[in-house]
Amino acid sequence: MSTPDTTLNSPAPRHDSAASVATTLRRITAQLSFDEDRFFLILAVFIGIFAGLAVVCFRITMEWARLYLLGSTLTPSPLRAFLAPCLTGLFISVLIFTIFRGAAGSGLNQTKAALYVYDGYIPIRTVIGKFITASLAIGSGHSLGPEDPSLQIGAGLASAVGTRLKLSRKKMRLLAPVGAAAGLAAAFNAPISAVLFVIEEVIGHWSAGILGAIVLAAVSSVVTMRLFLGAEPLFRIPSVGVIRWQELVAYAVLGILGGIASVVFSKAIGWLRPKLKATPQALQFLYPGIAGLLIGLIAFAGFPQVMGAGYDFMDQAMHDQYTWEVLGILVGLKILATTLSFASGTPGGMFAPTLFIGAMLGGAVGTVERLFFPNLTGSVGTYALVGMGVLFAGFLRAPITSVFMALEVSGDYSIILPVLVANMFSYLISRRLQAVPILELITRHDGLSLPAMEEKREEETLNVEDAMRTRPAIVLDGTKSAAEAWPFVSHTAEPHFLVALSNQPPGQISFGELQHLVEAGDTRPLQSTDALTVIPYLHPDEDLEEALPLATRYPMIPVVNRADLSQLLGVLNLEDVMEAYRKSHTDFPAPY
Amino acid sequence: MNVLRRDFVVREPLLIGVLVLVAVVFSTITHAYSQAYDRRRNQLGQQWFANGNAELQKSQPVAAVEDFRTALLYDPQNWDYRLSLAEALTQAGHTKQALNYYQSLWQANPKNGLVNLHLARFAAQSGNVSEAERYFNGAIFGDWPAGAADRRRESLFELIHFYLQRKDAGQAESQLIILSGNLPEDPVLHTRVADLYSQVGDYERALGQYRLAFHLDPKYFPALYGAGKAAFQMGDYRSAETYLSRAAREDSAGPDVRTLLEVAQSAAALNPFDHGLHESEKIQRVLRAFHIASARLDACPRAPAPGASLPASLLTLQAQLKQWKPNANPRFLMSQPDRVDALFEFSAAVEKQSQSFCGAPSTEDSALLALANSHALDEK
Repeated sequence: MSTPDTTLNSPAPRHDSAASVATTLRRITAQLSFDEDRFFLILAVFIGIFAGLAVVCFRITMEWARLYLLGSTLTPSPLRAFLAPCLTGLFISVLIFTIFRGAAGSGLNQTKAALYVYDGYIPIRTVIGKFITASLAIGSGHSLGPEDPSLQIGAGLASAVGTRLKLSRKKMRLLAPVGAAAGLAAAFNAPISAVLFVIEEVIGHWSAGILGAIVLAAVSSVVTMRLFLGAEPLFRIPSVGVIRWQELVAYAVLGILGGIASVVFSKAIGWLRPKLKATPQALQFLYPGIAGLLIGLIAFAGFPQVMGAGYDFMDQAMHDQYTWEVLGILVGLKILATTLSFASGTPGGMFAPTLFIGAMLGGAVGTVERLFFPNLTGSVGTYALVGMGVLFAGFLRAPITSVFMALEVSGDYSIILPVLVANMFSYLISRRLQAVPILELITRHDGLSLPAMEEKREEETLNVEDAMRTRPAIVLDGTKSAAEAWPFVSHTAEPHFLVALSNQPPGQISFGELQHLVEAGDTRPLQSTDALTVIPYLHPDEDLEEALPLATRYPMIPVVNRADLSQLLGVLNLEDVMEAYRKSHTDFPAPY
Repeated sequence: MNVLRRDFVVREPLLIGVLVLVAVVFSTITHAYSQAYDRRRNQLGQQWFANGNAELQKSQPVAAVEDFRTALLYDPQNWDYRLSLAEALTQAGHTKQALNYYQSLWQANPKNGLVNLHLARFAAQSGNVSEAERYFNGAIFGDWPAGAADRRRESLFELIHFYLQRKDAGQAESQLIILSGNLPEDPVLHTRVADLYSQVGDYERALGQYRLAFHLDPKYFPALYGAGKAAFQMGDYRSAETYLSRAAREDSAGPDVRTLLEVAQSAAALNPFDHGLHESEKIQRVLRAFHIASARLDACPRAPAPGASLPASLLTLQAQLKQWKPNANPRFLMSQPDRVDALFEFSAAVEKQSQSFCGAPSTEDSALLALANSHALDEK
């Protein structure tokens, strides 16, 4: 039986209806709402998009600057080559000294500083300053690359978004590397390498919590960038082809030479930069102009390839367009030019120059090898590609990124063996001859104390098994009564004892409670008494860092088998944890 | 309050709408910016490409290389720019660079006919037969943007020339047979194929192609002349005379045609091996040949050069000539018909031996020499 609906005719039901609609809306809104963690992932995608768009604009601005400052020719006219970097360098000095004080340098260390010192905050003025000054510097021919500034621009945008949304400090700190990865991925058109680089050089450790956001941001930024600039790589990648085992000797030689070149490059920057920074400010104002003048001289002398990021010339080296002598000269001149540009404080990155030096060195080794073993050598381009990874491993000391970068850029897994061989030599030589990695060195020049990523990566993680005592003094049987247990404990000074229980982790009982049970004549098994305390337990493979809070709260923690919780493997207390940490630090010699 | 606000901001899905809106605005600005830059890039690319082509036309490939490289700066994937750069590098003599460039182009598009053809030329120059064949085949069966059939045919012609340069007549002839089976009705093409058949020594197929050519264009001089030469080489002097007479009537006919015509006429008149020739007529022709040869030998100087003497073979022939002279008459030859061929072979031997030592031959000497060669071939 139905009743007529009168709700439409009365005011009260109308009110009910509005309330109902509001409730429905609230319910829908609630369903669409996200918690902060989930929202963070969505935010990462947007940061990726914004960073991708910013990098597109940055690259275009850089190209416009090149067009206007150096002209439309591949190799600029002598007059432009001579004047453009010098005059632009002076103009950049004016900008940096007056408006954009935070815009000097590559951007990588500034991003790390933002993460570790300023809770992920990067002022938007710095981002704008980096955008303008770096595009002018690279466009005018300073020997610097756009990747590190892109990384900072990405991180800066992320910071700006986070600040606007008033995200928690914790999330703000996470947001900077997310933006950094997005910026770098868009600049280099290689999301995997960007993610790895940020993990290796900015964060310093793998964290599942942030990895998803970084990957999402990197991928979305690359997709965005490709929508505007196309999917083509910055240089054409030659096919790798079959690599004969005999060629590995040549790749080892490339690794050794790359290691030496990395050390020379690092030492040059490490020597010149602090010297220039120690001079009066008036002189520092002139350095970008002087560096530009010297780079102009190099170009004027017949080597305009050293100007700018140099991707077009890397392309030529990869396609065998230079003799080994020219390639060798370019290695030396690029190291010189980049040292001048970077040490002078001109904004711009070292990523592209590192790849340039590596490509030229690889090309030179490949070409020389072909002279002596014409039937053995594969494509010179493969050597150039491996050379890029070699310098990356040796100079930037990012060994994992260097391997994956070569893989990602070539898209050919057959390159992995030569890359591993060459990078290993380069990395080891660089570590041996240059104890402090370049990024760490720059940090020290800047008077900052940021975590050294190389150390952080290699820090030994201590597990519970490294600290636990495998033979606890006394473990009482839970099936026995207090009176039966008393002879075992009466003579000890231990305040607490573990009680072994069947089919469950051990419990704990204190000396006083045990004594009280004995005096009360309680004949029940210990596992049935109220005096038995349930305590947390650990497994031997667990991180000692995670065990530390427990150790501060409980006098002893049982360490049990994962497959059989009743099987006691050891005992851990606060003193054990501290002793393990003390021991681990005395095991390691001071790194410097 | 801050916590509340944060909560509100973070949980509110409207925020995603705002972020989308910002992304759309930012994308629109970026799009406009990149479009403006793309237009400028394209403009510059085309400008430098045009400069490069102009430099190439002025035979200044070094400047063209720089121009094409600059054009590629603005459009790195442009196929025409890349191809032109490779071409300019070749012309500038940067062979190794050009080869590398073509190889990279090949990697990008292994089916491109032009790239395959250039790589085939490089391989042919370096004497790498298997690579040359592979790339020539790539060109023959590859993709061509325009005039594919013509370009494929020209590639096949180049492959045949490559084999001819390597003196591999067998492979050249095999490819010629393929080529001649797919020729359009074009007298020029038939004549080119016929010329190549002549080069490999297949005069019969050559003559067939020449005939096809002047069937299409009865006044086509190269075909008529070629047919005359092919027929002459085959020993068919009557046909050669016919073709050469027709060729000689054309305006483009030069003295070579008339000379060959006279030789052919003379050879036709002298040929003792004509089918259906009466015995007495054959003897007359053999005697005529003997007189020509003996005159040649008699006229031969005693010493071809100061301080040198005639080779022993000619001295022997002079001695034999003295023996032959009394018997070189119709009566003797009619009585001993087995000596007719021997007398002709003696005359042929005189012409062959004397051609190196006794000066330029007369028309009749040339005709007799041709007959001698033709007869020797037949004998083989």
